[in-house]
Amino acid sequence: MKEETVQKPKLKLAVYWGAACGGCCVSVLDVHEKLLDVIAAADLVFWPIALDTKYKDVEAMPDKYIDVTLYNGAVRNSENEHIAKLLRKKSKVLVAYGSCAHLGGIPGLANFTTKEAIFKRVYETSESTVNPDKILPQTHFEVDEGILELPEFYNDVRSLNQVVDVDYYLPGCPPQSERLLEVFMLIATGATLPPPGSVVGASEKTQCDECKRVKTENKKVKRFYRPIDIKDDGVTCFLEQGVICMGPATRAGCGVRCIEGNAPCRGCYGPAEAVIDPGAKMLSAIATMIDSNDEKEIEKAVETIDDPAGTFYRFSLPASILRRALV
Amino acid sequence: MEEPRIGVYICWCGTNIAKMVDVEQVTEQVSKLPHVVVSKNYKYMCSDPGQELIACDIQEHKLNRIVVAACSPRIHELTFRRALEKAGLNAYLFEMANIREQDSWVHDNREEATRKAIELVAASISRVKYHEPLDKRSVTINPATLVIGGGVAGMSAALEVANAGREVYLVEKSDRLGGLVNHLDLTYPYLYDAGSMLETLLRRTLNHPHIKVFCDTTVEKVDGFIGNFTTTILTENQQPVTLTFGNIIVSTGLKPFDASRVGEYGYGRLPDVLTSVEFEDMLRSGQILTRSGKPPQNIAIIHCVGSRNTEFHEYCSRTCCQVALKFANQIRTLLPDSNIFDLYADMRAFGKGCEELYTETSRKNITFMMFDQQKEMPQIIRSIDPADPHMLIFFREKISGLGLEVPADLIILMVGMEAHEDVKDVAHAVGISVCGNQFFIEKHPKLDPVATTTAGVYIVGNCQGPKGIPDAISQAKAAAARVLATINQGSVFVEVTTAQVNEAICCGCQTCILVCPYSAIHFDQNKRVSVVNEVLCKGCGTCGSTCPTGAIRSKHFTDQQILSQIAGLMEMTLKIN
Ligand SMILES: Cc1cc2nc3c(=O)[nH]c(=O)nc-3n(C[C@H](O)[C@H](O)[C@H](O)COP(=O)(O)OP(=O)(O)OC[C@H]3O[C@@H](n4cnc5c(N)ncnc54)[C@H](O)[C@@H]3O)c2cc1C
Ligand code: SF4
Ligand code: SF4
Ligand code: SF4
Ligand code: SF4
Ligand code: SF4
Repeated sequence: MKEETVQKPKLKLAVYWGAACGGCCVSVLDVHEKLLDVIAAADLVFWPIALDTKYKDVEAMPDKYIDVTLYNGAVRNSENEHIAKLLRKKSKVLVAYGSCAHLGGIPGLANFTTKEAIFKRVYETSESTVNPDKILPQTHFEVDEGILELPEFYNDVRSLNQVVDVDYYLPGCPPQSERLLEVFMLIATGATLPPPGSVVGASEKTQCDECKRVKTENKKVKRFYRPIDIKDDGVTCFLEQGVICMGPATRAGCGVRCIEGNAPCRGCYGPAEAVIDPGAKMLSAIATMIDSNDEKEIEKAVETIDDPAGTFYRFSLPASILRRALV
Repeated sequence: MEEPRIGVYICWCGTNIAKMVDVEQVTEQVSKLPHVVVSKNYKYMCSDPGQELIACDIQEHKLNRIVVAACSPRIHELTFRRALEKAGLNAYLFEMANIREQDSWVHDNREEATRKAIELVAASISRVKYHEPLDKRSVTINPATLVIGGGVAGMSAALEVANAGREVYLVEKSDRLGGLVNHLDLTYPYLYDAGSMLETLLRRTLNHPHIKVFCDTTVEKVDGFIGNFTTTILTENQQPVTLTFGNIIVSTGLKPFDASRVGEYGYGRLPDVLTSVEFEDMLRSGQILTRSGKPPQNIAIIHCVGSRNTEFHEYCSRTCCQVALKFANQIRTLLPDSNIFDLYADMRAFGKGCEELYTETSRKNITFMMFDQQKEMPQIIRSIDPADPHMLIFFREKISGLGLEVPADLIILMVGMEAHEDVKDVAHAVGISVCGNQFFIEKHPKLDPVATTTAGVYIVGNCQGPKGIPDAISQAKAAAARVLATINQGSVFVEVTTAQVNEAICCGCQTCILVCPYSAIHFDQNKRVSVVNEVLCKGCGTCGSTCPTGAIRSKHFTDQQILSQIAGLMEMTLKIN
C-alpha cells in the first residue's frame, strides 16, 4: 500500500494562514513523525510559516497547479482576500482548515464591533499605546523611497466560503491533527472523496453523542456558572451543573477533547450537520433550562451567563444568521 | 426535489383587499419570480369559481405548488387545501399569504400596503418550494365517553350520549349528583319547581343501563388522545378502576362566590345576612324566618355580590338578577305584607321570559333602587341595641344621588359564581386551558363554543362561564352531538404537522421532553434517544426550536421552510427599495 503511494506522482500541497493565530499551522506540524509520511506523499509548494515561497511564486504557478490547499484563518483584510482568491485559482481542492476559515472563528467575534472602534481601542486608548497624533493604519503611505502599501482592514470578518468557493471544511480550533492525517491520506491514496461542500474529518453527530457524562431529563437550573465557579463532579453533564456546554449543538470529531479535560465544550467544531445556527440553537435550549416562571427571576438567571454573545457565538459569528452586530 | 411549478392567486376579497392593495400590480410583480408559472387575481378566491380556477390551472399547467394571497389562513386554509386535494394535489403543497388581516385592514396607504402585499406573497412563494406532501393519519375512536361533573349539564350530556346506545362514565366529586340545582326551589323565569326537574334527570341517569356513575371520585390524570383516552380512578371504596374512552365532556360547574370576602356586608358576622344559595334552601323548607325564628318584616336583596366589581370578579355572573326577581316574587307570595327592597347595581333581565319576569315583579310593590358599586358599596350595620336584630343598609341611590337608609331584618346577598379551587387540576388532567377568570376556554367563542383546542375534549355548563340551566343543558346536548358524530365516524384524522426525531442525530439530552406541553415525547432507554408520539403531538413546534442538535424536524415548519420564507421576504424588500 505504502509503496504504491510513494510511487505515485507526489501531491502538491499548500498551507496558508489568513487572519489566524498560528495554531492551525502548528496543528499541521503536530502530526509529529507522521509528517514524514505526508512529505513522502506530497511536496509542500507554499507554506508561509515554514517555507520562504513568495506570493509572486504562487502567482507564477499555472491554474489548478496545487492539488490541495489548506487555508486556515478568517478573511479580515484585503491581503487575506487576495490570497484566498489566488489560491482558489491555483488549487484543485481548497479546504477551509480550522474554525476561522470554516466559520470566522475567534477573529470573527470582532463582528460584534466595528473597524473604527477596533482602531480606536488598539491605536488610541489601549493602556500601552502612546500615539498623541492619533495616527491610524493607512493603505498607502508615502516615503522617500516611494509609496508603501498595506492591506486594507475590513469592517467585517468573513469565513472563507463568504469570499471564494470552498470544497471541504475541516473544523476545529485547531483541527485534531489525527483528523487531518486521515483526510490527507484519503486524498493521497486517491479514495473517493465526499461531495464538495462537505465537512470532513468530523462526525454528523454532536459532542453529547460521544460524551460519557451522565445526562438526564433533569435540566433545571436556578442560575449559570462559569467552570471555575463550581466544583465539577466529573460525572454529571455540565449543563445539568449549570455550566454552559456547547456540546449539544456542536459537531463531534475532536474526541470530546475539552470534556475529557473536564472543561465544557466551547463549540469550535461548529454546528452539527442538522444545525444552521449553533448560537441560536443553544440559546433556545438554554432558555428552557431556567427553573422559574417568574420574569424577574428569569432575568436574574440570564444575567448570570457570563459573556453570552461570546459564549454562544465564540467560533461562529460571521457564518451565523446574525453575521454581525448592527452597530 | 421535483422542479417547482407554482400557481399564485391574489384575492380581492370583494373590496376588502382590492380597496387598499393594487391586486393587479401584485399579480404582475410576483409573476416574475422564479418558478411562478401562473399568477392571477380574482374577486373571491374562496368561492366555487375561485377554487375551480385553481383546480383547472393545476390540470392545465401541471402546477405542483399553490400560493393564495387572501385572508387569514385560520379562515380559509382548509378551504384551499381541500381544493388542492380535489384537483389531485397533496393539501400541504399549499401556502397562504395573509394580505387582509395583516395588510389591507390595518393600513391606510395604498402604495405601502401594495408593497407589503408583494413582499408577503414573495415570502410565501419562496417557502412553498420547500413544502413536502404529508399524509393524513387517522385513529379509531373508542365509543365510550367520560363525563366529569354530575350537575344538570353533566347528566344531560351523559343521557344524550347514553340514549344513543353508547357507554358513559359519569364521575362526580361530591357524594351526589345534581350540582348547584340541588339547592334550588323554583327556577326563573317561569317559576317551575326545580326539585321535580332534577328528580327526573336523576332517575333517568341513575337507572340508565349505559351510564356508570362514580360519586366521591375525581379524575387526577388522563393519558392518551382523542379516540383513545385512559384514566385510573379511585371509587368511593378506594378501589382503583381503569377506564378507557374516546371523548371527554367536562361539566364541573362553578361554585357560589364566598360572600365573607365583601367586608361591608358582614356576612358570617351578622346572623340574618344570607347568601342566595342559603335562601334557596330556606325557600325549599317552605318558611321564611329570621335567625330568631320570626317572619321578617323588611327584607332586602343586594345584587352583584362578588360580580361586576374589579376587586372581586369583573365578569357578570349572568343569573343573579333573574334569581333576585324570582326571590322577590316568592317572598311577596309567602309574606304578602312585608317590605321588599331590591338594591341593584344594574338590572340585567336579559333572555327569554326574563324581562317579562322583571315587569311583572315590578308591579308587586317591590322597591327597586340602584347603587353604584364602583364608587360606593352599600354598608350594612346592625342596630346599636344588641338585643335588636334589625339592620340598616346605608347607600347612595345612583339616580337621585341621595344617601338613603333601608331597614332590614333579613338580607339576601346575590352571590355570583366563581371557579372551584381545583379547576387548574382538572384543566391539567385533561389538557385544556383556563382563561383569566378561570373558566375553561372554548376552541372558538362563536364557531366552536363547546369544543376545546384539545381534540376530543368538550366543555359544557357553568365551567365554560356562568349561565342558567337552559343554556347549560343546550351546551351539554351540543357536545353530546359532537361526541356521537365522532363515534359514528369510527375514526378521526389527527394532526399531521407533527414533530419527528431523527434518531441518528438525537444525542439524548432530553431537553425536548421538558418543554413539550402535551407530554408527547418520551425517552427510549434502549436506543438512548427521544421519541415523539405523533398521535399526541399537536405540532406546536416548541421541541423543534429547543432541540439543540437539530434532530427534531417540525413537519411543515422546517428550518429550511421558515428561513426561505424570511429570505423571500427580505429579498423582495431589498429589490423594491
Ligand atoms: C342561587 C342560585 C339560583 C339559581 N337559580 C337558577 C334558576 O332559577 N334558573 C336557572 O336556569 N339557573 C339558575 N341558577 C344557575 C344554575 O345553578 C346553573 O345554571 C347550573 O347549576 C349549571 O349546571 P352545571 O351542571 O353546569 O354546574 P353545577 O350545577 O355546578 O354542577 C357541577 C357538578 O360538577 C361537580 N364537580 C365539580 N368539580 C368536579 C371535579 N373536579 N370532579 C368531578 N366533579 C366535579 C360538582 O360537584 C357538581 O356536582 C342558579 C344559580 C344559583 C347560584
Ligand atoms: S482555528 Fe483556532 S487555531 Fe486555527 S487559526 Fe483560528 S484561532 Fe487559531
Ligand atoms: S452538554 Fe456537554 S457535558 Fe453535557 S453531555 Fe453534552 S457534551 Fe457532555
Ligand atoms: S470539545 Fe468542543 S471546544 Fe473542545 S475541541 Fe471539541 S469541539 Fe472544540
Ligand atoms: S432535544 Fe433533540 S437531541 Fe435532545 S433528546 Fe430531544 S431530540 Fe434528542
Ligand atoms: S411539536 Fe409540540 S406537541 Fe409535538 S412533540 Fe414537539 S413540543 Fe410536543
